[in-house]
Amino acid sequence: MVALVVGLKLTLLRNGLRRSVWRTVGLIIGMLYGLGLVVGALAGLIALRWTSTVFTADLTVVVFSIITVGWMALSVLVFGVDETVDPGKFALLPVPARKLQPGMFLAGLVGTPGIATTLIVIGLVITWARDVPLALAALLAAPLGLATCFLLARTATSAFSQALASRRFRDFAAVALALFGAVIGITANLIGNYSGFHPDQMRGLLARAATVLGWTPFGWAWSVPAAVARGDWLGAVARLVLAAALVVALWLAWRRFLERSLTSPLTGGGGGGRQVRAGTLVERLFPATPAGAVATRAMRYWRRDPRYLASLGGICVAPIVVVVTQLANPHRTQALIVFAPILITLFLGSIVASDISYDGSALWTHISTGLRGADDRWGRVMSTTLVILPISLVMIIATTAITGELGQLPRVLALLVVMALSGLGVGSWIGAIWQTPAPPPGASPFAKNEGGGAAALILFGATTGLTLVCALPTVALVVGSVWLPWLAWVALLVALVTGVLALRAGVRLGGTRLDRHWPDVLTAVTAKS
Amino acid sequence: MSRVAPPAAVLTAGMSSWTPTESRPEPGGQPTQPGPAGTAGPVGPTGPIGAPALGLRGLSKAFGAKQAVEDLDLDVPTGSMFGLVGPNGAGKTTTLSMATGLLRPDRGTATVLGHDVWTDPARAKALMGVLPDGLRLFDRLSGRELLSYVGRLRSVPAADIASRSAELLETLGLADDASELVVDYSAGMTKKIGLACALIHAPRLLILDEPFEAVDPVSGETIRRILRGYVQGGGTVVLSSHVMELVESLCDRVAVVAQGRVLATGTLDEVRAGESLQQRFLGLVGVREGGSEALAWLRSSSV
Repeated sequence: MVALVVGLKLTLLRNGLRRSVWRTVGLIIGMLYGLGLVVGALAGLIALRWTSTVFTADLTVVVFSIITVGWMALSVLVFGVDETVDPGKFALLPVPARKLQPGMFLAGLVGTPGIATTLIVIGLVITWARDVPLALAALLAAPLGLATCFLLARTATSAFSQALASRRFRDFAAVALALFGAVIGITANLIGNYSGFHPDQMRGLLARAATVLGWTPFGWAWSVPAAVARGDWLGAVARLVLAAALVVALWLAWRRFLERSLTSPLTGGGGGGRQVRAGTLVERLFPATPAGAVATRAMRYWRRDPRYLASLGGICVAPIVVVVTQLANPHRTQALIVFAPILITLFLGSIVASDISYDGSALWTHISTGLRGADDRWGRVMSTTLVILPISLVMIIATTAITGELGQLPRVLALLVVMALSGLGVGSWIGAIWQTPAPPPGASPFAKNEGGGAAALILFGATTGLTLVCALPTVALVVGSVWLPWLAWVALLVALVTGVLALRAGVRLGGTRLDRHWPDVLTAVTAKS
Repeated sequence: MSRVAPPAAVLTAGMSSWTPTESRPEPGGQPTQPGPAGTAGPVGPTGPIGAPALGLRGLSKAFGAKQAVEDLDLDVPTGSMFGLVGPNGAGKTTTLSMATGLLRPDRGTATVLGHDVWTDPARAKALMGVLPDGLRLFDRLSGRELLSYVGRLRSVPAADIASRSAELLETLGLADDASELVVDYSAGMTKKIGLACALIHAPRLLILDEPFEAVDPVSGETIRRILRGYVQGGGTVVLSSHVMELVESLCDRVAVVAQGRVLATGTLDEVRAGESLQQRFLGLVGVREGGSEALAWLRSSSV
């Protein structure tokens, strides 16, 4: 069964690559990146053999705990999990979850992140192979740690996706997701605030961090050899027991989720018979044109589709992280809080760009009704604007109230306006050119295939880069206004003009491109992601 | 067409508002008057005189090494109920996708009432209503919302959308589930809401890929009545199916397609040539041998 499932994964991967060039490009970029990380990490780990065991202990515990947190955080927030082998597809076969699970585990590890982590963990064993007890401890701890990484990511994404799909917990889960991202970001930032100390202080900090992390679930497994190195045999045994218990608990939790997808693979969540109120409020928000119809439909999707709710969480995380970190910092920088709302626009371009991919094959409706490409673009821009506008207003009012710096308002507004408008424009254009693989509606918003994560990153880089280029004149004027304050008002004006120009250009270019390439776009978004 | 009983009486009377006789201003054509009870005769063509409702010329499409459709010619005269039959993988869906502007052909042209689908898509698409097979709908909308969405995309006036969708939902038996999300619909209900979406703008040509699949017999009869009334009102229907009896009882013209080519086409009687459509079809496509001897292991129960 194990060999069968792993073989299935490999076959699916190979067939998927054969179907899409972009997927191959994404995979190769991901693999090169992973290879670089692995080579660097292995070199570092082998070099550690020439340092003291105590230093090695502190450093490895901290670094490997961060890797473990990273698996969970990146799966939930950025990359999703690789659902190439969808457990729901086994629903008709007489296979219990118990028999399927080991195969699913190994198949899940087959992939760039899994293989890279496995190699780095082998490096950990190499660095600890200094005497027999240490080597034994590392050999015991390594598989436990690796399993913790993988299982944490799986159970966390499964739990979140089920909550997002259920009507009752949907909003709660979206908020929890945003909070989770915020906590991760705040912690990282707070740690960053302590950097720049003397090397001696850094050494002390490292030791303290290792002690703390070593007692968190993320560090239990990794601190087993570290405790042995310090001669703390009791601590080592305690951590070993805790780590093993954690893996067992996560294994059982994951089995529950597998069982559920084996027995009810078809539901989009929430069960049948969902009634929606016949509200026409949304319809009246937008003009009675085809573009208005697209906007209305998109607004309803923002509310009803977990994939959109998940990206809404992503929009809000970055500014909240910055504001909270600065508030917690005794030497806070007012300016960072004041300018934090601008970060809302960070994902705007990629959200608009991937909107068309989210439609999947349902996009045929737009094509067969003869919808003009520009109307498609405008509709999506309108709905995204309506989602972003209240969030921006609340954020700006909040940060201005916190800092009381009314004088910065024109600068903040200028940057926010130009970034938002050009982000929408750039997204409209790029979305018409390039469609990324997206999970189908109703699937877990975290389900991504090999290469999907890399494609998302490339899309994010491209849209953000272009948006910044459009914003350059405004940015220059805002910088200039430090010396000549009246330039801030000029910046606001320029922001409005360039933003509107970028938006119109993006919509027009994207629309024309869609008019010419509708069938090809349909083929691209219909291709099984 | 036999006169029909109560539910359809409502339908026939009501259909005057969305049969092809009255539609939104059509490009290049004169709006025509609705006839009494939706039975107005065929109306002046919108395209060049005598242009077929659907004309396919030399259509070809290959997926990698597989030639799905090869040099396919087909004419569907206005006012006909045209059945496209063929075995699995014959290229029916590929052909219909290319005819409706959803899939770009490698070669060849498709025209709807004289308007080229690929060089003049706006006009061609305004004239046809499409129900594809195997593509999603915007299924996070309720049935009513989806209908209104398609209507608004096609710039149907709001008042017409309201009255037509109420009528369509009622006729197709979806009125009670109109506020439910389409994702929660059964396969048959999804087909029906898809058909309603194809009809909302009162098209001149209906292209339906497997419209009866998964539809229960009662709804199937309703759909048949709708289609017959529609053709009587001057509209044209092209539908694909592999149920020969259904095509035989419903269509007046047939094309048999296999391996991406048209093997036979014409009126039902021309194609049948004295046999039943089923026999003729098997004769054209070729029967696979060994149906009774194969799979012998299935006969002794393994339980």
